[in-house]
Amino acid sequence: MHDRRFRFAVIAPKCGSGKELTEQARKAEALGYSTFFVPDHFIEHDLAPTVALAHIAAVTDTLRVGPLVLGNDYKHPVVLAREMATLDLLSDGRLELGIGAGWMTADYEKAGIPLDRPGVRIARLAESIAVLKGLFADGPFSFGGEHYRITELDGMPKPVQRPGPPFLIGGGGKKILGLAAREAQIVGINANLRSGEGESRETAQSLVPAATDQKLAWLREAAGDRFDDLEIQTLLGFVHVTNDASGIVKAIAQSFDVSEDDAQLAPATLVGSRDGIAELLERRRERWQMSYIVVPVEATETLAPVVARLAGT
Amino acid sequence: MTKPFRFGVQISQCESASAWRDKARKLEDLGYSTLFMPDHFGEELAPLPAIAMAAAHTTTLRIGALVFDNDYKHPAILAKESATIDVLCDGRLELGVGAGWMKTDYDALGLQYDPPAVRVDRFEEALHVIKQCFTGEKFTYHGEHYRITDYASYPKPAQAHLPILVGGGGKRVLSIAAREADIVGVNPNLRAGEIGLEAATDSLQDQTDRKIGWIRDAAGKRIDDIEIQMRFFICKVTDDRMKLAKAMAPGFGVSPEEALASGAALVGTETEIIEQLHERRERWGLSYVIVGDDNIDEFAPIVAKVTGT
Repeated sequence: MHDRRFRFAVIAPKCGSGKELTEQARKAEALGYSTFFVPDHFIEHDLAPTVALAHIAAVTDTLRVGPLVLGNDYKHPVVLAREMATLDLLSDGRLELGIGAGWMTADYEKAGIPLDRPGVRIARLAESIAVLKGLFADGPFSFGGEHYRITELDGMPKPVQRPGPPFLIGGGGKKILGLAAREAQIVGINANLRSGEGESRETAQSLVPAATDQKLAWLREAAGDRFDDLEIQTLLGFVHVTNDASGIVKAIAQSFDVSEDDAQLAPATLVGSRDGIAELLERRRERWQMSYIVVPVEATETLAPVVARLAGT
Repeated sequence: MTKPFRFGVQISQCESASAWRDKARKLEDLGYSTLFMPDHFGEELAPLPAIAMAAAHTTTLRIGALVFDNDYKHPAILAKESATIDVLCDGRLELGVGAGWMKTDYDALGLQYDPPAVRVDRFEEALHVIKQCFTGEKFTYHGEHYRITDYASYPKPAQAHLPILVGGGGKRVLSIAAREADIVGVNPNLRAGEIGLEAATDSLQDQTDRKIGWIRDAAGKRIDDIEIQMRFFICKVTDDRMKLAKAMAPGFGVSPEEALASGAALVGTETEIIEQLHERRERWGLSYVIVGDDNIDEFAPIVAKVTGT
């Protein structure tokens, strides 16, 4: 059963140099953050996650590392399994394996990778997760799916964490949350991204409290008894610590077309005073069991006092 | 134009984070130029995260895969990953890439093992895609195998010209390497899909002469800009080279002397090996010498004496 204690992570899509990434990672570690995440896209400014995570793990001692999240369609799961197991082995077991069905239309178009409809992508992800778990387990593994066929392959190396690194699956739709409920240890409650864009109106609307209630209901239903073991994660797109939050909250409320209280509670943003922010996080945990908070790397220092106060409680 | 010698080590495994850090630092301290990792699906670690970590643990050691198999990943992904490593290690990557050959890897992935001509066609396209990605400029490429549309790859590598290493044993791949690569690896021909007698005999002196001829023909004036690399699978510092040569010879189906002269063997006393290296640089242009994980210590004195000369 998960204890629902808070922990915090940073996410950094871009970075100018190894030195800068080293500093960011060590700062997060020193300030009590649990994990450093890197996204996986082909758009400008994103680093290749496997490489960046390897670098971060090499220059830190206890900080956990993870992709948030790998696009399943970019690599064959046998290739992924070996890269992720190597990362876990050479970080002494600090990997959290975030993986998703892929969603950003621009990624697929630019690289010429076919973008199948969401149902197909999710089915392929489910097979990929089965392959990853099979290759992490001991002994030779065979799999005959619609999308992947594996014959008597003993995945090497084995990850240090047994039976494997924790899986992190995030999403905003019923199908993907159902898959997460069955397969993941950590579930990200995210926007619904079926529009293929991160900043559309539809995406924003899918983050309001009522929509979030719905996602938790889907997750709970699909997870059954497993629900209590799941760690619930949320990714903050916007963090602003201020003693006068009213102007910003009003603007967010207008763009989401919801009440100001709902705007403040919606799990994608965090706006308020330090006390106000801590209280918001408590309310979100109460209502949605969200205990794993991911913040943009720019907010690492700003939120440090909140992390110091809430992490582990 | 004679190129100064440098040495690399090809390593496939490691048991822990601290052992990996220690190994990377040791290579750097001993004067090896480069840590290379193979890219296969047997007992080997995944090269990508491992070389990124080795780079993070060192300051001057160069790193690379020997070589990435083009068929395991989309070239735009490999290019992005390579450029990210290069940025994070301040320009120490050598991008080794090949058309793919090991049949068991394809079986493991359930990938179709196309005829060599198709794999090499695809590889040629991939090289083009990778080079375009490294410019950081927006490009479109519609080939037989890859379709890239209005894509500008990010990040740009730290090195203004990231060295590309292409290895092979057949005429076509070596000719592509001669035209496109900065480092040309002269390997046994692996069209059989596995390491067997054909691969062994294909590294004998005559065969190696022939390969160097192909490279020179295809390279033209570029030959002066190319580093010739060889991976020596039989390396041994020993006072009795004939003893080992006699043991080796049947595996090649040749005389002990011919086995010793093969492009896969580097055997003898320190002095004999150094002499051999100079002969081979004279004969083949070889300057970039790759040994195995087991040879790190015994070759260290040779590395110290010969590197940069």
